[in-house]
Amino acid sequence: MTGIRHAAGLAAGLAIAGLALGPAAAQTLTMGVGAPVTSIDPHYHQLSPNTAVAGMIFSALTATDGRARIVPDLAESWRPISDTVWEFKLRQGVTFHNGSPFTAEDVAFTFERVPKVPNSPSSYAIYTRPITRVEIVDSHTLHLHTAVPYPLMPTDLASVMILDRETHATATTEGFNAGPMAIGTGPFRMVSHRNGDRIEFERNSTYFGTQPAWARVNYRMITNDAARTAALLAGDVDVIDQVPTSDLAKLRGDQRLTLAETTGLRLIFLGLDHMREDASPFVTDNEGKPIARNPLKDVRVRRALSMAIDRGAITERVMEGAAIPAGQFLPEGSFGYVPGLNPPRPDPEAARKLLAEAGYPQGFRITLHGPNDRYPNDARIIQAIGQMWTRAGIRTAVEAQPWTTFVGRAARQELSAFLIGWGTSSGEASNPLRNLTATFDREKGYGASNRGRYSNPEADRILEQAMRELDDARREALLQQATRVVFEDVGIVPMHIQRNAWAMRRGFAMEARADELTRAQDVRPAAAR
Amino acid sequence: MSTTIAAAPPVPKVETPLQRFVSEFVASRIALFGLVVFLAIVAIAVLAPWIAPQNPYDLAQLDIMDGRMEPGTVGGAGFTYWLGTDDQGRDMLSGIMYGLRISLMVGAGSAIIACLVGASLGMLAAYAGGRTDSLIMRLVDLQLSFPAILAALMILAFLGKGILNVVFALVIVEWAYYARTVRGSALVERRREYIEAAQCLALPTRRIIFRHLLPNCLPPLIVVGTMQVARAIALEATLSFLGLGVPITEPSLGLLISNGYEYMLSGKYWISFYPGIALLVTIVSINLVGDQLRDVLNPRLKK
Repeated sequence: MTGIRHAAGLAAGLAIAGLALGPAAAQTLTMGVGAPVTSIDPHYHQLSPNTAVAGMIFSALTATDGRARIVPDLAESWRPISDTVWEFKLRQGVTFHNGSPFTAEDVAFTFERVPKVPNSPSSYAIYTRPITRVEIVDSHTLHLHTAVPYPLMPTDLASVMILDRETHATATTEGFNAGPMAIGTGPFRMVSHRNGDRIEFERNSTYFGTQPAWARVNYRMITNDAARTAALLAGDVDVIDQVPTSDLAKLRGDQRLTLAETTGLRLIFLGLDHMREDASPFVTDNEGKPIARNPLKDVRVRRALSMAIDRGAITERVMEGAAIPAGQFLPEGSFGYVPGLNPPRPDPEAARKLLAEAGYPQGFRITLHGPNDRYPNDARIIQAIGQMWTRAGIRTAVEAQPWTTFVGRAARQELSAFLIGWGTSSGEASNPLRNLTATFDREKGYGASNRGRYSNPEADRILEQAMRELDDARREALLQQATRVVFEDVGIVPMHIQRNAWAMRRGFAMEARADELTRAQDVRPAAAR
Repeated sequence: MSTTIAAAPPVPKVETPLQRFVSEFVASRIALFGLVVFLAIVAIAVLAPWIAPQNPYDLAQLDIMDGRMEPGTVGGAGFTYWLGTDDQGRDMLSGIMYGLRISLMVGAGSAIIACLVGASLGMLAAYAGGRTDSLIMRLVDLQLSFPAILAALMILAFLGKGILNVVFALVIVEWAYYARTVRGSALVERRREYIEAAQCLALPTRRIIFRHLLPNCLPPLIVVGTMQVARAIALEATLSFLGLGVPITEPSLGLLISNGYEYMLSGKYWISFYPGIALLVTIVSINLVGDQLRDVLNPRLKK
């Protein structure tokens, strides 16, 4: 229904045009964000918009910088003191917005609360579950005990915002949303919150980190793409996120605006049916009859599918440059990135040959599914892939559905080939290896989003080893090895990694974050020139 | 449109009703023009597979590298994209020709089915009267009080995409107009002497309804039918525009317009513009024909 929203947005944009304020209205920052915040409770619902707002009000023991690397926050340092114990040294002299001091007690309290938040649609408990015991050594030193070596502790704890035992002992999610409980150690205090509409903040002058540049922040949710762009052009907001790819070229050429862009951490890829040995539901021969064995189980077929795709054409023509072709989970520079593991060169002829070798000289038919409202240009991308596969001899039908319908079918293994995305919030390779390509195992929580049910014992074994390796260099080498195994076997077909873009009025500057978070502390007045 | 009187020859020449109908219809130049345009559109739609430069529904014939080309560009396949291409490299001219097929098919198909359903129910209500009448007419009221687009959206959200589902949804939202029209005229006709005569002859009810009552209720039905075809075409375009109509690889006019909408601000007007014009011309031509039909067939507008 983007059409209607576009039209409405256009109208709204025209109506508010002419209200432009000069950049001199300093001290106050107005932001227009594309995704609504669903809760202020930092332990309620794992969702990027919520994480962004939580990062303005609260702090965690660790944090991630713009490139998703772990940096100190409420903890000043940490180290493993044995295979199963992590020691965290906490920052001294930090107070909550209400003056209550921050101590190790508060961390212990937070870890107790996280798994107990009622009705959480996507719980934060996975981050605290590995901790078997919290040992308070002194008021600012903690020992966290785990059952097995757990190298990801500092990474995981960046997601757990610390609350105050005195203030939040009986805090409910409603209490946070209404305002009184929205008390943290972050750079901003929440002043008011209108659910799904706007949140107002003021500067926390006692913040322990760098003081934010803005005394007040008006955080507006403008979910309609065209309305958001129009609001920026009209000067109604200073910064917008999720710049639509079709507007990028126009905004780049606008003298009144600046853009902040960076390669993100969201991989768009194709999942394939690895579960069935026999007929796959959406694969048929050229007469439309089911094929008795699933061709997607043959690595030559999977390679042909990957090779038939011209990723450059898609990133350039469909994504209009707002993505880079991908050959693995993460962009260059990330922890676990494999140098030289690039996407295959597009070659429809070689793809045909591989198909013939695999026993399909005439190709076959397949239906490629995908969402039409989830990722930028999702429905366009699957059509383009349909063209490329069809030219390589695999007659492809394309079906785009609303996300909720689509993802249900993918999760029930009803599809043969489908386009989907994965945002690696932690910025390191163990996360996609565990979630997307590890053998599905409900007990261990592995393969939770492995919707094609890919399974490779070798990759599993190396990953298992990496997950117990506390030495960073050795762990990275293992993760690289596992990544290579998965992609040489074409467990998933990587498409591209999206670029994140923010647009702002001239006079503002912003640190573009790989994890897509839009936070007021990352915006500063641009240096005078 | 009292011009019909001036144009109708006052000579007391004996004309068959059909001749009179034709001469009255062509008396309006603009209606004639509408009819010619409409027939041309039908011809284009029917002949599309033979005259379109490309089969826009065959993914192998599209090339993403030809995407969003300006009208008049020569593409990779060697022919000129006279109306440009959309984001998938689909020739807009071919896309419009094939899109017209879908629009007309859906429009005519749904109008015919809705007419059959609606007319039968309307006739039944008028003839049976009493409780049956109340029941059917309350259903009609219920249907008419519901915004058509909303009802169609709900039906399609439930049934899923597909041309047949669109036709079904349109039938559901449109039958009520036919039912109400037929019932109205049937109620009037029922009290006429010839029906009474037929009843006195103890003719079977079915015969009275189909041979006597129905033919006399036809003129208003034809008028409503024409208007509803245009309405169905517009509604299909709206549904496709909203992404609930046809599959994305087989775009109708509405989906073509929707595909181009995001590029309007970037100056790539042709993706939405030309299908929009095609849709406009189709609907206007049908409405012109419908208007004239109404004038010609409505005895009250004649002196």
